[in-house]
Amino acid sequence: MRLDASNLGDYARGCALLGAGGGGGFDVGLLMALHAVEAHGPVALVGLDALPDASRVMLCGIAGSPAIADERIWSGDEGGRLLTAVEAHGSGGIGALMCLQIAGAGGVLPVTWAARLGLPLVDADARGRAFPRLQQQAMHLARIHAGPLVLTDSRSTVVVEAADGPWADRLAHGVASALGGMCAIALGSVSVAQARSAVISGTVSHAIEVGHARSGRGARDALGAVVLVEGRVIDLERGDGRGSAVVQTEGTGTRQLRLEFQSDYLIAIDDGAVCASVPDVICVVSAATGDPLAIERTRFDDRVVVIAWPAHELWRSSDGLSLAGPAAFGYDVDHVPLSHARS
Amino acid sequence: MDVRAAGADVVLMDADDRLLTKVGIPASGGAVPPIQRVIACAVSRLGADPGRVTHATLSASRSMSDVLEQRAVSRVAVVRIGWPLTGAVPPLSTWPGELRRAVSAGACTVAGGVEYDGRMSAPLDETAIARFLHSVAGEADAVAIAGVFSPIDPGHELAAAAVVQRELGREVSISLSHEIGSLGLLGRENATVLNAALTRAAGKIGDELRAALAHESMDAEPFFAQNDGSVMALEHALRFPELALGGRAAAGMRGAAYLSGVGDAVVVSVGASSASVGILVNGYPRETDVPPEVEGIRMGFRAPAVAEISVGAGGQEFVTALHGAIARTWGAPAVLPLVVVGEGSDLVPEEVPGVSEVMRPAEGDVACAIGMTIAPVSGQADVIYADRGAPWARAVQEARSLAIGRAVVAGADPRRVDVVEVTELPLFSLLDPAIRVRVRASGPRM
Repeated sequence: MRLDASNLGDYARGCALLGAGGGGGFDVGLLMALHAVEAHGPVALVGLDALPDASRVMLCGIAGSPAIADERIWSGDEGGRLLTAVEAHGSGGIGALMCLQIAGAGGVLPVTWAARLGLPLVDADARGRAFPRLQQQAMHLARIHAGPLVLTDSRSTVVVEAADGPWADRLAHGVASALGGMCAIALGSVSVAQARSAVISGTVSHAIEVGHARSGRGARDALGAVVLVEGRVIDLERGDGRGSAVVQTEGTGTRQLRLEFQSDYLIAIDDGAVCASVPDVICVVSAATGDPLAIERTRFDDRVVVIAWPAHELWRSSDGLSLAGPAAFGYDVDHVPLSHARS
Repeated sequence: MDVRAAGADVVLMDADDRLLTKVGIPASGGAVPPIQRVIACAVSRLGADPGRVTHATLSASRSMSDVLEQRAVSRVAVVRIGWPLTGAVPPLSTWPGELRRAVSAGACTVAGGVEYDGRMSAPLDETAIARFLHSVAGEADAVAIAGVFSPIDPGHELAAAAVVQRELGREVSISLSHEIGSLGLLGRENATVLNAALTRAAGKIGDELRAALAHESMDAEPFFAQNDGSVMALEHALRFPELALGGRAAAGMRGAAYLSGVGDAVVVSVGASSASVGILVNGYPRETDVPPEVEGIRMGFRAPAVAEISVGAGGQEFVTALHGAIARTWGAPAVLPLVVVGEGSDLVPEEVPGVSEVMRPAEGDVACAIGMTIAPVSGQADVIYADRGAPWARAVQEARSLAIGRAVVAGADPRRVDVVEVTELPLFSLLDPAIRVRVRASGPRM
């Protein structure tokens, strides 16, 4: 399978849905990818099974705020700089690129880099959804150290050795801030054999399928999502990196759903009981357009549909929950698996 | 003067906004009637004393669309400020090739620009700009300049404009992106290039209008309908012709508001071959959420949210299309009234589902012409303030002053300009909290 003008639009739309609309920078990311495949040819999409065990894969994406790219458009050669630095630090030649995070602009950007480098993109990613902290990814969960950490904005390149977990996260965000709010990132490289044991396979082709659905119902089916509530935003409070929103149904028999968020929607509470929680994905969709509404674009009185779908099972293990469950975000509630919730 | 393909409607109104007379001037041979003929006809048939006419307002939307369609555009040299970044989507790379070739005299990307918090990324490379301008000197009639994050700090765009004036002289028209659009480099750059491409045509229309007025000894101040339902003085339109696009549709909505007396309504304006459907909010046409497209290119300027449907043979097919357009525009069963204007208003039935009532105000057939005659002059400011310790109240105050200043520059009476709308949008996607403030100020003409 190849990524080219015939399916990149669907892919970008799928990445936006999987990221619940957060982060920004999708439109520019798509335009970049279209321009790149036109100039350099389509990008081969390969499953991990199709690559030799010893081949090395570079895990790459974005650190900081991808919306900055709507103004400060990427140069396109970030991927090449990341690759040069990763290979120079002794890991050997990179045979393929893999998205650190399929959700949001981080799924689209590696397509441009792969096209320019003439490398394939692996049909997999290390998160399956959007997460804010660098260590919230499959390699860390599997205790596979992927290094070095490389960050670049095409003007400067920073290589960070022997940092892992929360330290790598702090350094990455500090560098992204210093570089103007956003930069490209590589979590070093791993062998295909290591990757196979840890990552979430098939997420790129899944994103294309999700993005291809033309109706809200079709997209929900492709995502495996349930509707939590349909109504209007009647309350919205933000402050200090976190906030909450209340959606109330219209018409008879009013119900209210309360949503807690930070940079993503994390907890949904129906009638005092948690009905959906991170790592499962909660997404607010505009009733008018069917597009996911990022938190920063949600406004009082918006008519919305709140949907949710289960995270990949690796996040629902006890290690997965301690890394990415409600407690990891500072909420004193237990994770409630979506399949047990009232829909 | 509502000038369109089917002819022109001219109205004469007094200082209290009362309609004195109106006249319809048919088209000749399917072409837009020349302004000279419209004014001459109007003077003779309206029986107006040319010496007593103080303001003459024209919609240039149709003429501008024709200019674009016929590719009678200025050739634009494009300067983007932001190297070594932004290369992944070069200037005009999303434009269809044929339009790009007609408009572009060449493009360059030079070092400079600012970061999201206003910090300078790199000094502006004035030498590179000068070198580029020399290479396109014979080709370019106009220059478009777009810098990364210029809505936060336009300094580099202003410095680049000074280089253009030094190298190409003071006659070449310059469009600066921070005066045309808000955040989103591609949309803002596209809109700036389009604006520059329309400047020569705007100049010709302006000359024709002035000549026609002089010929009739009409000492009236010339104005153009703007895309937000207000008007702007001729000088302002010559610098920002893109504001005239969508001016006619917006004027029709203002006219509908004025004639019906309602401020919030769905408006359908039915012409000979097409009808437009929009929403009035507080007397002004509601604007699109997403940037409008011109020939498939995303343009980062504001535009009225108007849906066009074909009239065809009228009847049930038209009514069905109308229902669909109303539902799409409002997005929910509306409790708003429907105001019907335009020469084809009879095609809309008495009963229309989803609206509270159907209003057909008197003189609705000349709603566009009336709308642009009574409209105030407005100026808008759309600015971003990154939180650098400054209280947001000061940011709002600065935006208000900017909007008032722009309204005056566009031709409003400085003694009677007021801020009519302020919207504050906190931006959470950037790392430090920032605020986007949009202010509209308007006032009667001088």
